[in-house]
Amino acid sequence: MDIQFISVQLFNGLALGSFYVLLSLGLTIIFGMLGVVNFAHGALYMLGAYCAYTLVQVYSGTFWMALILSPLIVGLVGIVMESTLLRKLYDLPHFYNLLLTFGLMIFIEEFIQIIYSPMGKPFNTPEEFLGSFDLGFMLFPKYRLFILVVTAFLAIGIWLFISKTKLGAVIRAGTDDSEMVDALGIDISKTFTLVFGMGAGLAGLAGALAAPLQNIFPYMGMGILTETFVVVIIGGMGSIFGSILGGIIVGELITMGVIFWPPLANTLIYIFMAAVLLLRPRGFFGRAKFFE
Amino acid sequence: MGKSRIRSFIKNRWYLGWLIPLFIFLPFLTPHHSLASEMLIFAIFAMGYDILFGYTGLLSFGHAIFFGAGAYSLGLLLIKFQAPLLVGLLGGVSVTLAIALVVGFLSIRVKGIYFVMVTLAFCQMFYFIAFKWAGLTGGDNGLHGVPRPPIFTIHLDSELRLYYLILILFVLCLLLALRIVHSPFGRALQSLKSNEDRAKSIGFNTARFKLLSFLISAFFGGLAGGLYALHLNFVPLETLNIMASGDVVIMSIIGGIGTLYGPIFGAMLLVYLKNLMSGWTAQWNFIMGILFITSVLTLRRGILVEVKERFFRKG
Repeated sequence: MDIQFISVQLFNGLALGSFYVLLSLGLTIIFGMLGVVNFAHGALYMLGAYCAYTLVQVYSGTFWMALILSPLIVGLVGIVMESTLLRKLYDLPHFYNLLLTFGLMIFIEEFIQIIYSPMGKPFNTPEEFLGSFDLGFMLFPKYRLFILVVTAFLAIGIWLFISKTKLGAVIRAGTDDSEMVDALGIDISKTFTLVFGMGAGLAGLAGALAAPLQNIFPYMGMGILTETFVVVIIGGMGSIFGSILGGIIVGELITMGVIFWPPLANTLIYIFMAAVLLLRPRGFFGRAKFFE
Repeated sequence: MGKSRIRSFIKNRWYLGWLIPLFIFLPFLTPHHSLASEMLIFAIFAMGYDILFGYTGLLSFGHAIFFGAGAYSLGLLLIKFQAPLLVGLLGGVSVTLAIALVVGFLSIRVKGIYFVMVTLAFCQMFYFIAFKWAGLTGGDNGLHGVPRPPIFTIHLDSELRLYYLILILFVLCLLLALRIVHSPFGRALQSLKSNEDRAKSIGFNTARFKLLSFLISAFFGGLAGGLYALHLNFVPLETLNIMASGDVVIMSIIGGIGTLYGPIFGAMLLVYLKNLMSGWTAQWNFIMGILFITSVLTLRRGILVEVKERFFRKG
């Protein structure tokens, strides 16, 4: 096992981790703002993949179109979900909203399963991304490199958006005390809708990006949802850096697990999670008394 | 005062007067005898789950672990060691409790919504273990050929006999659950639900109470799982699925959490509905999703209470 092979695998782990970063970023900003763990996040990711599939394979659009339209469509679905259903339950204990999103997850998955059949659909890597890129010390598939770059830009963009813009300041303030923000004359409910739409859009983008790497099927969101939960448990809920670190760790653990010890590949991240729970129950960047 | 108390006592008795025959003759009222068994099995599961969710206020999305652990370990004990039924049941429950001790110890370290995520993650982990360890569990195909050994000298080859065995265990479980929730210990659990910090400052060891509540609910889950394996003669991998964890949550919500009787009713209703619906349509899960959404939006106090409040409210 040479060093080139290992470094390619490390990069693969990073590319896989990118999806977890995108998903957990969305999950974590929704949670920070609304106090809702969005169980439908995996279903929205799947929806993004099916959007891309429909645009590219059925209507023969370009992959770029899919990358732009899928997040918008899925974000819109998120906005509709928040403004029609989730909104009704904000005054109740948080777990009701969580159960609602669980119901929505089943609904979306089954809806897609009825329309597109439960069979997996193939999705080819777009032509412009075929082949590899020479990084000097190794060859790396162009498409995975593209995913890494997109995720890095988005993560930096979200961090800048949350920490530097006025709207970001409202979101941060709303995370701490949304009633107070409301009392200060800012329409917090619109911000809630926007944040949910944004998180959903990120999930949709992750789904569209993931489509060329695998067959897409209606239940592809379920597995990645639990893995994203592991990411936020490890990284700490409500923290952007936690999401990034957790996402990379989980991506690497899964990739390395598949190579070195296949039977345990899927279990490794849960063992790691258990260890984190023992040593740091709130995760690496978790805050005390944060929606507990 | 005295008179009204007597009246309510009689009223309660009258209530039981049709409930007891209902349970005794349930297998003759359902399309086939085994459906009644399945209804009671999930009633046991939901009853135990209510002690954790409804009384202690801990929402677990991982209880399929215990249902599945009970089913698999009973199945394996009966298949690999030809164990007698009682040994199988006890062994199944013991294995379940051992797993619950580890999962519970780790899960109660986090609170609220984090608890939900951690239990769900563990559920997925056990699903993967059962899936990958096909040599032991049969993997994707499930564990086939679970026998039904006789209990003492009574053979359980008829569905009806199995139903009455389950009914006896159901009644014992119900008595145990009632004893638990009405005991001082049960009150302490309820105090955790309403205000954990206060319960702690009064001097309760809240972590220990949570773990005990977790173990109790796992005990019921493991027993129900074991009975499920007997009932089906086989353990499907889906018993460990996250959807199975979701099922028991929705049973509890539909029936009304924190009432013990509510989740029992919810479980029986849902199992019956599922059976009824699967005769008409293959899209049971789609219906389940809609049911989940509507019941969280409109039936939060349980279907019986909500219907009574909305349609039969007097004045």
